[in-house]
Amino acid sequence: MRIFKLKKEYLFPFLESISEGADLWAPTKKPEGKHSFQIIKDFSQIDLDYTRTILPPRKIFLPPSFNMFKATEKKYEADFSHVTEKIIFGLHPCDIHAILIMDQFYKHHYNDPYYIEARNNTLILGHSCWPDEHCLCKSAGTDIIEEGYDLFFSELEKEYLVWIGSSKGDDLIRRKPDFFDENITDKDIQKYIEWREEKDKAFSVSIDFKNMPDLMELKYQDPLWEKLGQACLACGSCSNVCPTCNCYNINDKPFLTENASHISRCWDACTLESYSEVAGGENFREARSLRLKLYYTHKLQAYISKYGKPACVGCGRCIETCPVDINIKTVAQSLDNETVDAFWDRFAKEVTK
Amino acid sequence: MKNDKLKIGFYELTGCAGDCLLVTDCEMELIDIFNAVDIQSFAMVMSNNTDGELDLALVEGSVTTEKEIEELKDIRKRAKAVVAFGTCAVLGGVQARFIDPKEWEKNLKIVYGNTEFTHTKPVQSKPIDAFIDVDFYLPGCPVSKEQFLNFFTRILKGNPPEHYPNPVCVTCKYNENDCLLKKGELCLGPLTADGCGSICPNHNIPCNGCWGPVEGANVTSEFYLLKEKGFSVDEIKKKMANFSGTKITDYFQQLDKEPK
Amino acid sequence: MNGETKNIIQENPFMPEPARIVRTYHLTDDVKFFQVRITDMDKALSFKYDTGQFAMISVLGAGEAPFSISSTPSRPGLLEFCIRKTGIVTDSIFRLKENSLIGLRGPYGKGFPTEKMEGKDIIIIMGGLGAAPLRSVLLYCLDNRNLFNRVILLHGAKRPSEMIFREEFFALKERDDLECYMSVDEDDTGQWPENVGVVTTLFPKVKDLDAENTVALVCGPPIMYKFVINELIKLDIPKDQILMTLERRMKCGVGKCGHCAIDYIYTCLDGPVFTYWDVLHMRELI
Repeated sequence: MRIFKLKKEYLFPFLESISEGADLWAPTKKPEGKHSFQIIKDFSQIDLDYTRTILPPRKIFLPPSFNMFKATEKKYEADFSHVTEKIIFGLHPCDIHAILIMDQFYKHHYNDPYYIEARNNTLILGHSCWPDEHCLCKSAGTDIIEEGYDLFFSELEKEYLVWIGSSKGDDLIRRKPDFFDENITDKDIQKYIEWREEKDKAFSVSIDFKNMPDLMELKYQDPLWEKLGQACLACGSCSNVCPTCNCYNINDKPFLTENASHISRCWDACTLESYSEVAGGENFREARSLRLKLYYTHKLQAYISKYGKPACVGCGRCIETCPVDINIKTVAQSLDNETVDAFWDRFAKEVTK
Repeated sequence: MKNDKLKIGFYELTGCAGDCLLVTDCEMELIDIFNAVDIQSFAMVMSNNTDGELDLALVEGSVTTEKEIEELKDIRKRAKAVVAFGTCAVLGGVQARFIDPKEWEKNLKIVYGNTEFTHTKPVQSKPIDAFIDVDFYLPGCPVSKEQFLNFFTRILKGNPPEHYPNPVCVTCKYNENDCLLKKGELCLGPLTADGCGSICPNHNIPCNGCWGPVEGANVTSEFYLLKEKGFSVDEIKKKMANFSGTKITDYFQQLDKEPK
Repeated sequence: MNGETKNIIQENPFMPEPARIVRTYHLTDDVKFFQVRITDMDKALSFKYDTGQFAMISVLGAGEAPFSISSTPSRPGLLEFCIRKTGIVTDSIFRLKENSLIGLRGPYGKGFPTEKMEGKDIIIIMGGLGAAPLRSVLLYCLDNRNLFNRVILLHGAKRPSEMIFREEFFALKERDDLECYMSVDEDDTGQWPENVGVVTTLFPKVKDLDAENTVALVCGPPIMYKFVINELIKLDIPKDQILMTLERRMKCGVGKCGHCAIDYIYTCLDGPVFTYWDVLHMRELI
């Protein structure tokens, strides 16, 4: 792997030089304090001092709602207007791992051109991070990233170590060769190693993911699911903020004057009431507990069985989002017989009093 | 030439007329709407309204007088299909929030004193399906332009309208808002039908529930969650009843069965 | 910093083909038969499918939904569907007249393993609209009659007026290479010439079944499965030789939209045909 050193003051000039002809997406701070990936018009918008964004970066590839076709009776015209040249800067390792999972999913069996085209036209520029009390990436094995990025910026005190992950990434560096220093000193290496060791110690929670497939199987009828179902607000937020959720719905939006429609695609969530309802009103998962089982089967069991790693990358978004504390941490801990402090547990005691 | 356009009427009962106003606000589509159908009655925008047979009647507002009950029944007789247009028609709206009839009478007295009602007699505000069968419901305060145009276009082309089964939270997350409920605000997002584009939470204002309850809403859990966050039972009930009006009483009855 | 829009040239599995409704008529009050041809002749003839697979049909302005293919691949060119009026899309399909255009894509899913069924006794048990996917495999077996040993059909419906493909199956009854038994739950006409009772009451009529060498194909309303499978198990038919086709909500047909997921399989990729063993193994399937 090729590694360079970049002085911090060169970062924005470098980004400016490479983002010609492309949308540059980066984390920005919202007025209420949370972060969000946005298209950058002005470099002062970029805020790298963030732990996680509200929505995961998949929104950049497949927006919450977009048109797949303009359809008339005789012809379907594919609409790929969501596919533009993009650079995403500031992605943390967990989010890059999630993109790797998406890459695999959208190429499985059938190719999804709407994802693949968007992905092929996007450069991934990662950035190092520091865990907070919700980060589970170390447990998920996603705290370190070895592939999936074009460039990765590890932040040291005054400079970045820039890891080149692809040939395209190497091309980027060549646009400003003067910015990048090949001489990485022993001191730099030592600083990086120290940082790694410090970061490793900074995690406050952990989940044993490798036990989860068995526990999901053995505890499929556990009363835990009823408790979760009672409290779940069925708001769909856990899916919408999850970087590896991929469900969607298709709608036909007819034009008023022309005999034509937009066929649009929007995110769906398996925790929503209507998710498994078929025509005629039969709902295969009317109970909220069944829908939660599906969600957690996907995250904690199915993917591990299929690909040897969980479909959870430990980003902590569900922990930060669910109003009733149903999240990967509380569910996994409960499956593992740990006591948790969660609204759903207090509520279950309240209603069975 | 035979006129085979759908005959449509817009009607306003008691409300702010915001839903009909929204139709007129569809500026880009307005001419197309008027060209596509034969509008027989639309008091807000035209004179010479006629009271003939209709294919579709869109009724806005809640029923608050005896005269309106008669009017509504007449519309039902003339129309092949009736749409409850906007939250007042669907749920009764804010004017139906006093769910206890005695409280309603008390309030009537406070506002009108001993005034004698000569024109017509007031009744407690109710949604239109308290008096007639309704074919389609399109809630909203006012209804959303997108949902209205989609509904209108589908009906026009002979296709059944789409359902909107999601709570406000779905769009609220699409808009990348920080969860107000999680932050401890009295937000009704998870209980409320979507369509507004999460306009209140987008401006850091908790959802008031103006689209009415979404199918499958978990009122009990939200109720206890709000209680745990320090809101009083009265506060929560009041806020929930604000827009959902008389129809939320079902939920309250269900809640009353739950342990305190 | 303006992202340029790209020109895309890629195979698009979501792209429907325009197709024309060649023939349509009512099978019952709420079920209609549709014969459909893809308008592009080359594509119509090269549309290869297996029995038990499904296709996505779209109606402009209404939406898209999955439907089992009722015709047999042994008669290429035309595709047949029987569709019950149950929702937004089917409501719109119902109003389409002959010569109307629809969108069609597919075929999708894993169908019946007809090759593995060769040389075996085939017993087909259909209830109500379950005849839609099973008619395909039935006609396939009859068109390739020499490939299979016995072919047995048990067909159940609520009432005579609700039996789909009634005339067709009565005509098939005349064949001496098909053992065909039909039943209605209740006979409100008083003129029903066949058995009255739920479909399982037809089992005693099937004599000398060689269980080890039999493949059973089942499709019907959810309530039917339990009772029919009980009978098949009593007859000692191996669990992995009992095949059933299942319904789930599907939006894409290609394993992307997630709606048909059960455990970690997608009905649209790994189904809709499953063995009874799959059902026992996978929870939640019925």
